Amino acid sequence: MRPTHLIAACVAAGLTLLTGCSAASNDGGKGGSDLTHLTYLTFETPNLNARFWNTSITEAEKQVPGVSVKKIVAAGTDRDAYAKQLLASGQFPDLLQSITPSTFAQNGLLKPYDKNWVNANFLMPMGNAYKGEVYVPPTNSQIIPEVFYNKKLFAQAGITAPPKTWSEFMAVCAKLKAAGITPIELGGGDPFSASMPLVGILSADVLGKNPNWLQDRYAGKAKFTDANVEAAVAKYRTMVKEGYFQNGALGVKYADSITNFTSGKAAMYMMGSWFLGSVPKDHTDDFGAFLTPTDDGSLVVPFSVGGSMAISAKTADPAKATAFAQAWSTNPANLKALIEGDGALPMLKNKTLADYKVNVSQVYKDSYTYVTDQNTKVPAFGWVTNDDAMPSGLNDAFYSASQALFTSDDIHGQLAKLDAAWDKAAK
Amino acid sequence: MTTRARPRRGDLALGSIAVLALGLYALFIVVPVIMSAWKSLTDENPLNPQTHFVGLDNYAEMMHDSALSDSLTFTLLLTAAVTIVANTAGIGFAMLLNKTSLSYRVMRTVAFLPQVLSGVIVAFLWRYILAQDGLLNDVLTSTGITDGPITWLGTPHLAMFSVGLVATWVLTGFTTVVHLAALQSIPVELYQAARVDGAGRRQQFRHITFPMVAPGTTISVTISMITMLKLYDIIAVLTSGGPSDSTQSTALYIIKCAFTDNRFGYASTVAMLFLALSAIIALSVTGLLRRREENL
Repeated sequence: MRPTHLIAACVAAGLTLLTGCSAASNDGGKGGSDLTHLTYLTFETPNLNARFWNTSITEAEKQVPGVSVKKIVAAGTDRDAYAKQLLASGQFPDLLQSITPSTFAQNGLLKPYDKNWVNANFLMPMGNAYKGEVYVPPTNSQIIPEVFYNKKLFAQAGITAPPKTWSEFMAVCAKLKAAGITPIELGGGDPFSASMPLVGILSADVLGKNPNWLQDRYAGKAKFTDANVEAAVAKYRTMVKEGYFQNGALGVKYADSITNFTSGKAAMYMMGSWFLGSVPKDHTDDFGAFLTPTDDGSLVVPFSVGGSMAISAKTADPAKATAFAQAWSTNPANLKALIEGDGALPMLKNKTLADYKVNVSQVYKDSYTYVTDQNTKVPAFGWVTNDDAMPSGLNDAFYSASQALFTSDDIHGQLAKLDAAWDKAAK
Repeated sequence: MTTRARPRRGDLALGSIAVLALGLYALFIVVPVIMSAWKSLTDENPLNPQTHFVGLDNYAEMMHDSALSDSLTFTLLLTAAVTIVANTAGIGFAMLLNKTSLSYRVMRTVAFLPQVLSGVIVAFLWRYILAQDGLLNDVLTSTGITDGPITWLGTPHLAMFSVGLVATWVLTGFTTVVHLAALQSIPVELYQAARVDGAGRRQQFRHITFPMVAPGTTISVTISMITMLKLYDIIAVLTSGGPSDSTQSTALYIIKCAFTDNRFGYASTVAMLFLALSAIIALSVTGLLRRREENL
């Protein structure tokens, strides 16, 4: 074979491989079947494991004849980054689970759901809408964060009730520390986990007083360096300086922080309500939860609605992709797994917890009342995926600031950096 | 009149292989570099099909990017420290293991083992060792060397040290093998003659071993440097670049610019700078070491 022929063969083989990587395809006419192949980006955790995804996909496939779904598992915790990598390599999935829709929708990469279907099926139809369109069915919600506490350790320190105001919260921390108990567990080795106390404080203090603060930040009417934001962040810095987090908190990985808290190494843990899925089944009554306290004791619920999959605007078979997504999103069996395993707070219309036939703890039920009750709900800072989502890429800067404030007193400097990062990202 | 010699079949085969190799090199190295150079002049965003030519804007921005200069400083310091330590340790281990008995052959395999493992596995392994309640802290506290656990991965300076420690552990296997190979190529007669002339161990090392392993050192140092300059996997798993970006290598920063900040154009600009910098460093150090070889 001549060298030119060899090179040509290599190039041809490469092109064949590339074309074989495209997303939705239809077998019609080739293999004699009308099977539509779709790709579905998912993720795996100990609770939402491969078995859960496989079963849920199989169940949804049964409801949509002629569709075959191939699961793609995100390589890390950053599903948005992985979706972008797939997009860059020409393999953007047809369906994408739990991504940030605003990041992709603003570039026309996602197909919105039919609003009649959304209105008919969900409690808060526009709960995670972006610019008036729903790109991810609002199947469930999370409170980010709650303050989980260990009742036995509270009792051991002589604390009879969870704190309602910020000053009570600080007094509880001091009392626990004086009793030789680590007040708060922090999995600071994972950046997102390190940011949880700051998410709680900013949601309570800044968004609690001005729920439109994120929109104001987009409009340039508010800044991170504003006095009220600096005052809120100073609370977090005080917690660090008072030694209310465990020694070496920035060296503890998220997974280890869960084990540490559930095994009684610390009295409190600020984490998203997905922690409810990790409450030990054999002593659920040992755990309670309250919201990040405000100065005046008013209740502010940092809330995020989301849960299901987005549909690629580029999918070759939008009808089948939509049918599959709708079948998956409204299957109560999927919600049952999400409720029990991931602490998801369901948002399907006309259903009570009992309808899902779930076995949940009292702390779960208490948390769910925050969703069903009339109260002040604000976008969980940095977590919502609707119009109040931070600009794409800013979460990393926010996480980095959370870690930096652990060792630095320069609150103004860190917040000025965040302002600069915001302006750059929102350009 | 002269007649041209007919090319032999072997020459044709070799020529074909060379053309194929050059073709593959061009396809997978030269073309991507040219594409990257072009992208560095654009505002390409992976989510946006509209790409604009922005001239040297990205290069101007790069000059004032403090996150980039922090990552470059960290990467260069790490590269220098790990290259020096791993190669010094490599020469030492090679001399210790330069024996032919079975037990030494087993030890050589053990020394090389970290190089065989993937960076991800190495990082996971060391994460368990360096964790707050990990093996190292258990040993230190149980033996009374420290009062409590040390935050190896959660304090900026210690996290930098930890990354360097793990990278050195991996690279030392490689530098040991390279120097061992160089040592084994030294004729025994040279040492015998030196001993006859009354040279001690130190003089033998200075006048025979050190000059004779110099070509091995040049290869080992160059490859160590290149490996460290592009270090990504170990850091990504061990610290994710934290805490607060203190261990963010330039390779990690390029990925962040591209896939977190959605700036392919700017990421390409940083990649071009890094390519140029790596080439200058590699060529300079190799040149210096080659000259040193000639002078020895």
